[in-house]
Amino acid sequence: MASALRSAVLRHIRVPVAETLTLNGSKWSLISNVRSMSSHGDDHITKEEIIHRVLDVVKSFPKVDPSKVAPDVHFQKDLGLDSLDNVEIVMALEEEFKLEIPDKEADKIDSCSLAIEYIHNHPMAS
Amino acid sequence: MSFTLRSVKVAPNSASLEEARIRVFDFFRSACRSIPTIMDIYNLDDVVTPSQLRASIASQIRKNCHITNPKVIDMLLFKGIEELNNVVEHAKQRHHIIGQYVVGSGGLVQDVGTKDQANSNFLKNFYETNYF
Repeated sequence: MASALRSAVLRHIRVPVAETLTLNGSKWSLISNVRSMSSHGDDHITKEEIIHRVLDVVKSFPKVDPSKVAPDVHFQKDLGLDSLDNVEIVMALEEEFKLEIPDKEADKIDSCSLAIEYIHNHPMAS
Repeated sequence: MSFTLRSVKVAPNSASLEEARIRVFDFFRSACRSIPTIMDIYNLDDVVTPSQLRASIASQIRKNCHITNPKVIDMLLFKGIEELNNVVEHAKQRHHIIGQYVVGSGGLVQDVGTKDQANSNFLKNFYETNYF
């Protein structure tokens, strides 16, 4: 029964011999260079860009004086924010970099430098 | 009604002020994380930005920042979670969200005339907004 089905199926299936399967040809190397569905590698952002974007997010916060913002400011000590503002900024950073920071980590982020460090080490930041 | 009750679980009371505080932050985070969904289902992209909604949620929480009794905070937190569930479940309509969280307590129409300054506070609040 199974063998009859197998032969029936095999009789109708034709596998086209495509050029893309040639190992030494140029098309193979094209495939191996572009890993379009991969989450690793090419889209990682540089530290300068992270610093720039983190500072932009903090500066756009309504209660913050943009002239005071620097890469090493502490949110509550230097910018005069309270703990709720701190959480709000971390949420804004999550939105900007499309992350989800776990609550325990998010509690620790209380300054620009820690935020930059965390996002820089996060593999999914974009 | 029943589906709201199903999704709202009553957590045990907070043992201390610190625990209640942490719960408030957790709630704020979950509310912030549901902002994209809310903006999607109520079609809010052309009237408000996510950061404005975040600030609006924060101001609702900050309105009660003077409260130090953990039981009262738990109660307010419960009401907040209930409200968030209602919003996320689409139990509200667009104008509720806009009136309550986008326009806020400032109101669309500001009456700066001098004619009714002596009127009762009740009437002034009545003219100002539906939402408290």
